[in-house]
Amino acid sequence: MTDTPDTDGLSRRTYLKVAGGAGSAALLAGCTGGGNGDSDAEATESDGGSSGDSETTESGGEGSSGGNALEVQHWWTGGDGGAAIQALFEGFKEKYPDIEVTENPVAGGAGQNLHAVIKKRILNNDPPSSWQAWPGANLQPYTDADKLADIEESVWGHNDMKNAYLDGPKKAAKPAGEFVTVPLNIHRLNNLFYNVEVVEDAGVDPASIDSPSALVDAMAKVEEAGYVGMAQQTKSAWSTGQLWAQVLLGEFGADVYADVTAGNVEANAEAVKESLKIVKQYSEYYPNDAGSISWQDANSKVIEGDAAFFHQGDWAAGMYRGQDGFEYETHWNQVPFPGTKGVYALNMDSFPFPANNPSPEATKKFLRYVGSVDAQKRFNPKKGSIPPRTDVPKDAFGPFLQSQMDDFANSDAQPLSIQHGLAVSPDALTGFGDAMSSFISGYDVESAYADLKAAFE
Amino acid sequence: MLLNTLKRLLGRDGSGDCGTEARADGAASLRADGGTPTSDGFDIESVVSSLRESEAVRSAPFWLPPFLLMGFFVYGAIGWNVIISFTDFAGLQLPTYDPTAFDLEMYRRALSDGQFWLATRNTFVLLVSFTGLSLAGGLGLAILVDRGIRFENWFRTIYLLPFSLSFVVTAVFWRWMYNFDSGVINVFLRGIGLDFLASKWLAGGVELGALSAIPLVPETLQFKLFAVIFALLWQFSGYAMVVYLAGLRAIPDDQYEAARVDGASTVRMYRRVILPQLRASTVSAAVVLMVFALKAFDFLYVMFGNNPGPTADILSTMMYRQAFAANEWAYGSAIAVVLFLVALAVVAPYLYGEYRRGEL
Repeated sequence: MTDTPDTDGLSRRTYLKVAGGAGSAALLAGCTGGGNGDSDAEATESDGGSSGDSETTESGGEGSSGGNALEVQHWWTGGDGGAAIQALFEGFKEKYPDIEVTENPVAGGAGQNLHAVIKKRILNNDPPSSWQAWPGANLQPYTDADKLADIEESVWGHNDMKNAYLDGPKKAAKPAGEFVTVPLNIHRLNNLFYNVEVVEDAGVDPASIDSPSALVDAMAKVEEAGYVGMAQQTKSAWSTGQLWAQVLLGEFGADVYADVTAGNVEANAEAVKESLKIVKQYSEYYPNDAGSISWQDANSKVIEGDAAFFHQGDWAAGMYRGQDGFEYETHWNQVPFPGTKGVYALNMDSFPFPANNPSPEATKKFLRYVGSVDAQKRFNPKKGSIPPRTDVPKDAFGPFLQSQMDDFANSDAQPLSIQHGLAVSPDALTGFGDAMSSFISGYDVESAYADLKAAFE
Repeated sequence: MLLNTLKRLLGRDGSGDCGTEARADGAASLRADGGTPTSDGFDIESVVSSLRESEAVRSAPFWLPPFLLMGFFVYGAIGWNVIISFTDFAGLQLPTYDPTAFDLEMYRRALSDGQFWLATRNTFVLLVSFTGLSLAGGLGLAILVDRGIRFENWFRTIYLLPFSLSFVVTAVFWRWMYNFDSGVINVFLRGIGLDFLASKWLAGGVELGALSAIPLVPETLQFKLFAVIFALLWQFSGYAMVVYLAGLRAIPDDQYEAARVDGASTVRMYRRVILPQLRASTVSAAVVLMVFALKAFDFLYVMFGNNPGPTADILSTMMYRQAFAANEWAYGSAIAVVLFLVALAVVAPYLYGEYRRGEL
């Protein structure tokens, strides 16, 4: 090395020095950049298509700004849900003008994207004030980890909530025995929608079908008349999951249903297998393209008069409302799913209260408001769902929802949804999804039974 | 802290002109200037100076920052994922990272999980058939385009175009095309009188009969996975074509001419002269295609949601489902590790081969 000419050495050393400086600068930039990159990644993850980018900064400022900032995350970013939650926030702002509400909606994946964001924030001990969550067993991981606080006094003790809610919703608000969340809306799952003209043409009276197995004969009659029996999608398994649950409920009753969801599959082996068999029979009356359509496509078949029956949650009625010249009772109608008269199968959204809440006082006010008549009257007509409170005036609702509200108020049982996480934990729900995915690709009753047993027990 | 060490290693802390100072020639006269005390004497100084001269240290400003960034964000994340797979992390309680409690429970669970084996089988079917068919299709297109046809650039662009589309777009419109009643594929088949071929591409299948005696081979072969493979093929053949085209163009014209002069037919010329020289193109295209096959998650997710069912579930969809739907973080991590090893098994031989041939 000594033979290197001095001048070269000098320039080279200077070069090295400069480079070293640049290198350390780059390193420094790398470090801070790393920090930024991290929060960027977080923001993108929470993004999911809409405005998640302010998440980290917002939650950073939360602690210092005390009780007047409220951060609520939800996945209602558009359509009926978007309009409904905006109406609710407007009402809340009217009532509490000094509370600053920050929404951080996370769109997409039927809430799955939001779930991922919330889980991450809970694990990082940085929960939002409240968020949209399915109540019931879906919240079990949160209560197991002690991440939700008891709000029996502070929220459920107000507004006469305990009297206004029926037992089913109240049970869902207490996944581990304590009130931790406030249900806002109910979508019914045990519906059977039908195209009035089609069933009349086929000579079928939907109201007279008294059990899920009798529906098979009705659909056979419909197919003879040249229509599709049941507009169902099998692109993804969730619709079949819903359908199987209603068949079980309708054929064997709410007690068996509750027992199965509690994990006693083997004790009810006959009921489970028989209900799977009925679904298998239904599958012969699905449209030919069931495997490549969405539920909206399936519902269009009812609207267009190609199909007679349609099973779905009552959000499906939103499509009918949006269709000109397709009116309730003259063109479409609904009966409780055969065998489930007097039962109102629940699918709900709720707002829980996290244990280390960044804004406890504001959140309590918000949850009390969510549980109030005013909030539920604003939200539900727009969403196309019914209020879980039974004392909300009906005049704001359309005729279909009014009849749903009557059914709800007079229901003897309000079983919790399996497919929408109210009755089973997320872990069991995934197993259930696997079971149903296998089931729709071959309709093997025995193996579906084994999968269900493995999922629920 | 790191910055100081770096500066010290590089030697010059003071800002003056140090250029004329004695170079580290192994002699003792060097004074470590700046903050480094020299009281320890000779040995340390020589170590320091030899360090200073070593290539690794002198080049550190160039490789260290990217190395640290990559190390932390890529390899650190992989390492952490491996660690999580050793825990029982599930639900919403952080695991305790206690090395004594680490075990291979999650891997055992995977081995005894039928779903995992189905997903693994599908992953390999997808990997092998998609890669093989893409290469074959790409090679065919490349040879055709290379024949000196008119509008060559147009065709090249047309064939490559699907590659530039996102999985989300292609998944949605292939789903429409596969529709039994109104999809363009069945409409076309019916239009040309091949009604019996019109099938439920995403829900149907054919009976396999005696073949189903083989383990993991189902009784009916569902079209679902092959429908997915076909769609991916359409998307990626253009990429293989471009790689092959570059390889073909690199072969000097005189070899074609020499083969012709020697009286080789076109088929023989390609088989004996041209194809053997496309090895490098094949390998590099194959590696990229295989990695894409492992990442087919987006396509399946858009088409079927997070559970494509037993006939099309692959490891990446299963991993996502276990981690983000079931809260089984540790199990999801274990599946991710398996997927990572598969990807590594695909890429490592290629990298090693390149390294041995001195191209890396």
